[in-house]
Amino acid sequence: MDTNTNCNVNKDQTKSWDKIINSLKDFFGKDIVRYIVKRILMFIPTIFLVSFLVFFVIQLPPGDYVSSEVAKLAGEGEYLSEKEANDLRAEYGIDKPFIVQYGMWIRDIIWTPTDSQYYRINHSHHNWKYSFEQKKNVWTVIEERLGITILISSIIMIFQYAVSIPIAVYSATHQYSAGDYIASIVGFLGAAIPNFVLAFVLMYLSYKWTGNAQVGLETKEGVIGFLKSLVIPIIVIGTSGTCGIIRSVRAQMLDEIGRQYTLTARAKGVKESTIIMKYCFRAAINPTVSGLGGILSSLFSGSTVTAMVLGLQIQGPQLLAALQAQDMYLAGSIVMVQAILVVIGILLSDIVLAFLDPRIRYSGGSR
Amino acid sequence: MKKKLLSLLLAATMVVSLAACGGSTSNTPSAEPTPTKAAAKNTPAAQATNTPTPTPVSVQEMKFSQAPTVKSTAKVEDRLPVKTDVFIEQVDANGNPLEIGVYGGNLNLLGGSSGWNTSRAMLETIIHYNTDGSYYPNVIKSYSVSSDYKVWTFKLREGMRWSDGEPFTADDIVFWYEAVHKTNFDTKADWTALRENDEKNGDFAVLTKVNDYEVTWTFQNPKYPASFIENGDFKWCWAPEHYLKDLIPHSVWAESTLSDEEVLIKAKEKGLDFEKVKDLGKQTTYYFWNWPGIPTLNSYVISTEAGLNNYKGATCEYLRNEYFWKVDANGQQLPYVDKLVYTMTTAEGQEILLFLSGKLDVIGVTMDKISSTLADAGDSADLRTFSGSGWGTCQITFNYTSTDKNLADLFAKSAFRQAMSISVDRNEVSGLLYDNFLDPGQACPSIGNFGYDEEWSKKWTEYDPAAAKKLLESCGLVMGKDGYYDFADGTDLLITFYYVADSGDDKTYTVLKNYWSKVGIRTDAREFTREAYDQKIDNNDWVASCGPTTSIGGLGLNDRPAPFVPIAEAAEWYGEYGTYYQYSGEKGVKPTGDFQKLVDLYNEWKATPDRSKKDEIALKIYDIHKENLWSIAYLEGIGSYKLINSKIHNFPDNLVSADLYQYDNIAHFWTFFIK
Repeated sequence: MDTNTNCNVNKDQTKSWDKIINSLKDFFGKDIVRYIVKRILMFIPTIFLVSFLVFFVIQLPPGDYVSSEVAKLAGEGEYLSEKEANDLRAEYGIDKPFIVQYGMWIRDIIWTPTDSQYYRINHSHHNWKYSFEQKKNVWTVIEERLGITILISSIIMIFQYAVSIPIAVYSATHQYSAGDYIASIVGFLGAAIPNFVLAFVLMYLSYKWTGNAQVGLETKEGVIGFLKSLVIPIIVIGTSGTCGIIRSVRAQMLDEIGRQYTLTARAKGVKESTIIMKYCFRAAINPTVSGLGGILSSLFSGSTVTAMVLGLQIQGPQLLAALQAQDMYLAGSIVMVQAILVVIGILLSDIVLAFLDPRIRYSGGSR
Repeated sequence: MKKKLLSLLLAATMVVSLAACGGSTSNTPSAEPTPTKAAAKNTPAAQATNTPTPTPVSVQEMKFSQAPTVKSTAKVEDRLPVKTDVFIEQVDANGNPLEIGVYGGNLNLLGGSSGWNTSRAMLETIIHYNTDGSYYPNVIKSYSVSSDYKVWTFKLREGMRWSDGEPFTADDIVFWYEAVHKTNFDTKADWTALRENDEKNGDFAVLTKVNDYEVTWTFQNPKYPASFIENGDFKWCWAPEHYLKDLIPHSVWAESTLSDEEVLIKAKEKGLDFEKVKDLGKQTTYYFWNWPGIPTLNSYVISTEAGLNNYKGATCEYLRNEYFWKVDANGQQLPYVDKLVYTMTTAEGQEILLFLSGKLDVIGVTMDKISSTLADAGDSADLRTFSGSGWGTCQITFNYTSTDKNLADLFAKSAFRQAMSISVDRNEVSGLLYDNFLDPGQACPSIGNFGYDEEWSKKWTEYDPAAAKKLLESCGLVMGKDGYYDFADGTDLLITFYYVADSGDDKTYTVLKNYWSKVGIRTDAREFTREAYDQKIDNNDWVASCGPTTSIGGLGLNDRPAPFVPIAEAAEWYGEYGTYYQYSGEKGVKPTGDFQKLVDLYNEWKATPDRSKKDEIALKIYDIHKENLWSIAYLEGIGSYKLINSKIHNFPDNLVSADLYQYDNIAHFWTFFIK
């Protein structure tokens, strides 16, 4: 009895293992999964290459952090001797050859060993190194502005899509109407006017009308105050992106509306709204979705020049300040995180695209 | 803004300042910071009106009070020093009586990436200066010096406390000296104030704790006020032992038993996240006011709230020090304003928009922005002027130690420098570069500053191209066929001006070169980054320099002597002569003639204890500058200007901006109130 029971149990176990293996086979056999795995594997050398280039480019300008620090201190009446400057270089490890510095940087980000001083103090295996300028761990510096950056960028992104897609659909379905012309003119204007110029104009108007130029973000006057201070950034950053999306979706929609399947659907008496939204729009949105790849990165870095003009203390201006001060680990890390987000963004957009449009097949995947 | 507007006030300051300099005796200080005789005379009429005079103060009868927002449950009397040792703020740095203020409100200031930026509004130092150059004990209750200038005594304020409520005693001075300073934990062990013979490597003075409220500094050789109490580096000599003693490792301080790692862990536990002990030391003991949790003696302490405690962050707050040791004439504990809020901008010019929007209360502005901003701001803004200490604006100088013999010989000729000076139409330059805000001038002390000499300010300033040509010919130059002068041996004369990129110096050169060209001087220019420029100067690889300033002059030798005498590898106008002094003759070029005279006079100045005699020597140094004009300025010295919210009270006008005075710190922000 016992033996039979054991046998049955073993059989059941074998069956369930087979089931798992088969479902895994099925899963990995699918084009999309193969594609994702392949992209993730490509992801690693890409990141290494990007990080190497980033580190190289950041070190290109003459001098280093210490020399810019010496000049800055001299401006404040504090003088560092050559020996002190060289001691500082040794202290920060920036007297070492470029390749050694790069190797140490990337190694510590990937895995800082348990027996290192950094791990013992911070209990983390990922040492993003030290921001010379801020005198803090780089990740701490990045984290300080991460939340506000993602919040602002997300609001702007939602604004862009929420406004542009309905306008684009309206323009396409009402081609050459007054509304279409207005949307086109506004779209072209938005795309043509440099963001920083629009920012200056709106700040001026805001000052003239309200007595407040709306520089920076209002974080002390509650949600309403905060949202008020977002109006200009949303208009400035949002409109430029909005215009691009409107033009692209409108063109695609017009293309799809003129296709034979639309005509057939219409002939068969399918509702117009169903034709537009279920068939045409779904196809027209493809290029926009594939453009989503850059969004993750822009969520992180924001629109640097506009942020500078508007006084938004988000990641973009931080990157610029780090580059100016030759704070290489901070600048390098910000750019590298951006690069990683671009790669992840592209991956995600491809996945979304695949779900949206089953016609899309991936290389080596058609069955 | 022009000197006509200021002349009455500043001339009064100047006259009185000279008198005060002669009469001051730093070894008999007053324990109470009362108005100086000099400053009292210097009361601007505009400020004398509408200013309630504080009631006469009798310390013993004084009743102390505090701001309603104070959170401490301890009584205000227990948070202040004993009555006789409380610091009573009655006058500003001009000697004018302060208004009695009301508590409350925030002061919104402009953030900056420099660690010093925030110090201007709150840093408390050993002594404080008045605008006339006189000074009084500030954090310390009093100081005195023995007749042979070998023993200096500091007395402290009994009952004074750190911002966390712990007592401030002589132990904190001993701790700073032994554990922080002598060990170089603060990275400033080479201050000469506490070294024998004012040498960076001289023996340290011996510090002795007499009792909890008295210490002595003993030197083997005489230590005169100028190199000790008046030394601009020597701003503080204390550190909170109770907080810092477990943050210094054995590798730095022999008495510590902690390893570097243990110290970094302890620092992290206190919210101080540094990777290197060196940074930990410098930031917590030299830039201590910028790091949360560190007790200070300043009027405000940085917030400990995340997101508001990074002085380089978007917004940073400094809260009232509830143990601050100063009161007003009515016994109200200072400061009046609840907190200082620093806002960082991301681009130049935003501060003006923020000011106009009411989000900043004090901003610095350049002259060309004053009238337009005031017009926009209407009644909500006032102007405050700080006279500058620079020796003229729009300067040039030459490399007197150039390795090109032709050039070096030419630059050494006074007639050549005169020709370069009078060949330029200064009024036109002022119009082109400074919207006519600045008058013609010369490289000399600004009006109102020590050593001002009207004759000097006008020397070689009259525009006369014809005379300039004659002077050039008198230097042996020969007019070539191309309309430019050549050397007598036929080689072309070309003067290359070096300047720093993005500093505005390119504009200066662009305007000046046309005048020189008209009199036959061929010039060109090379632009460098600050670092590359400094390297060129240090390596003696340059010809001439051009810019708003060329590292000459300043408030006085007391402030920093290197801009006046060739003693450091620092200033363009003396090139390698300074290097020679700095490296004791191992490098550089041995000075001769008047350059050597400057060095001799400087050595004499250093060895003279008496302030009035020192000033006499300083004036002799100035005379040599007046005679030679090694640096030429085309316009008068530039001041600095602040626009302030008109609701701010007790912000004096006509202050002096100088490193020795800690720039804006001389405005005494802790006495400001908003009404």
